[in-house]
Amino acid sequence: VRATGEHVDLLRALAPQVLGVLVRRYGRFDACEDAVQEALLAAAVQWPEEGVPESPRAWLITVAARRLTDQLRSERARRRREDTAAAQAPADEAFAPAPGDEQPPEHDDTLTLLVLCCHPALSPPSQLALTLRAVAGLTTAQIASAFLVPEATMAQRISRAKQSIRAAGGGFDMPPEPERTERLRVVLHVLYLMFNEGYIASSGPDLQRAELTREAIRLTRAVHALLPEDGEVAGLLALMLLTEARRPARAHPDGTLIALAEQDRSLWNRAYVEEGTALITDALAHAPLGPYQLQAAIAAVHDEATGAEDTDWPQILALYELLARAAPNPMVTLNHAVAVAMVHGPRAGLDLLATLDGDERVATHHRLDAVRAHLLEMAGDHAAARDGYRAAARRTTSIPEQRFLEARAARLSD
Amino acid sequence: VKYMLLIYDNANTRETFLGEEGRELMAEVDAIMNELTESGELVGGEALADPSNTRTIRLVDGTPAITDGPFAEAKEHLGGYLIVDCESAERAAEIALRWPSARFSPMEVRPLMDTAGAEM
Repeated sequence: VRATGEHVDLLRALAPQVLGVLVRRYGRFDACEDAVQEALLAAAVQWPEEGVPESPRAWLITVAARRLTDQLRSERARRRREDTAAAQAPADEAFAPAPGDEQPPEHDDTLTLLVLCCHPALSPPSQLALTLRAVAGLTTAQIASAFLVPEATMAQRISRAKQSIRAAGGGFDMPPEPERTERLRVVLHVLYLMFNEGYIASSGPDLQRAELTREAIRLTRAVHALLPEDGEVAGLLALMLLTEARRPARAHPDGTLIALAEQDRSLWNRAYVEEGTALITDALAHAPLGPYQLQAAIAAVHDEATGAEDTDWPQILALYELLARAAPNPMVTLNHAVAVAMVHGPRAGLDLLATLDGDERVATHHRLDAVRAHLLEMAGDHAAARDGYRAAARRTTSIPEQRFLEARAARLSD
Repeated sequence: VKYMLLIYDNANTRETFLGEEGRELMAEVDAIMNELTESGELVGGEALADPSNTRTIRLVDGTPAITDGPFAEAKEHLGGYLIVDCESAERAAEIALRWPSARFSPMEVRPLMDTAGAEM
């Protein structure tokens, strides 16, 4: 049985609320999360057949609490078998629905859950997997399919992530400052990874991965609604919308990638462009500047150009100079070099790229070869450009990128 | 990122693994497999039958030709593989270095191609 799109949206929106109620009431994040997941699965099977209950939230809380009771009871039974000094068992009445389950939540637990799932004891892939399950309400099977690993592998990864949080003593509270700011920064990074994982997926067989993009935007919207004054949250949401806007134009129907300069801009999602541009304009006017806002501002300049040739490259260059100071890293330098080339000519861009040759983080990365080839092509050195595209094509581990780079090289061979 | 760890055997590897010394080696294999399962890094893996079971197929001027035995005689042959999904190439190499076969023949660690990609 498959839940319809409407049910899926409702379940995903309710997942963090239900989990929040359970963790507040019973503690034990790991056990509560399992119980909520089971309740979501039960709902996905029952609701399409029997109809959505009058209070879906209370229904989920009741079912999840019952599962939790069962689980804790069997754990106690096991312990009792192992150790005759049985642990004190809480009364079953403790698991009955509490008054107020029918009411909408007095506070939103989404942010607290995000902060918990993005616990610093976990690696970024584990933070991402746990966030998708506990906050976004995806099933383990869906997450496994998005990351192209067996379901058992993903189940193990999620269960281990929860154990790590338990071992690290992660509690269901917002940490105090300054840790709070640091943890929020990790949450934004995980949402950014979630978006990218979905966005880089090609069309066709990777539809599950495209769902990650949708979830990343939905969760970032939720965080933005809770922290409207935070410029970086607004910047990240704007960056996602301004990037997602180009999705319809980014590849041919067969999955072949299309460079930004060659995309059919009439296919871009204007509603996303407008929303993203408004968000970033407001953030830049009111909040302290940060890397997500700068990246969003760059995306907005690209998106507002009616054609590639109308792009305001001097403005983009100025933004990259700020970004290179705020968040220096080799990937920023690569894009910065393209902007330099567009304003000051390809040789100036190549000079900036040359500073990366000794940088072991990127010296053997296919993107360095690809950008260098692009600038060499601009400079009219077609033989060197062709070699560069070929080198990049050999180095990439992405099939669509390899096809794109080989096509670039072939275009210069005529 | 997913990596394939290619396990190469030589003429004596299987004997070693099935002999007295092999018990400890197999215990090491089990321990690594458990660790990779626990950590959620294991994607899959298989062992291949002895190369004498190989059939090589060729198209000679469009006509199929099937011969018994491997396509090239070599001191080392592919004995099996593991696929792991790990955070870094360093971690994949670390797993390969601990795989007992690495003490007898080299291992290769190769990234898998991804169907996703970003426009440039």
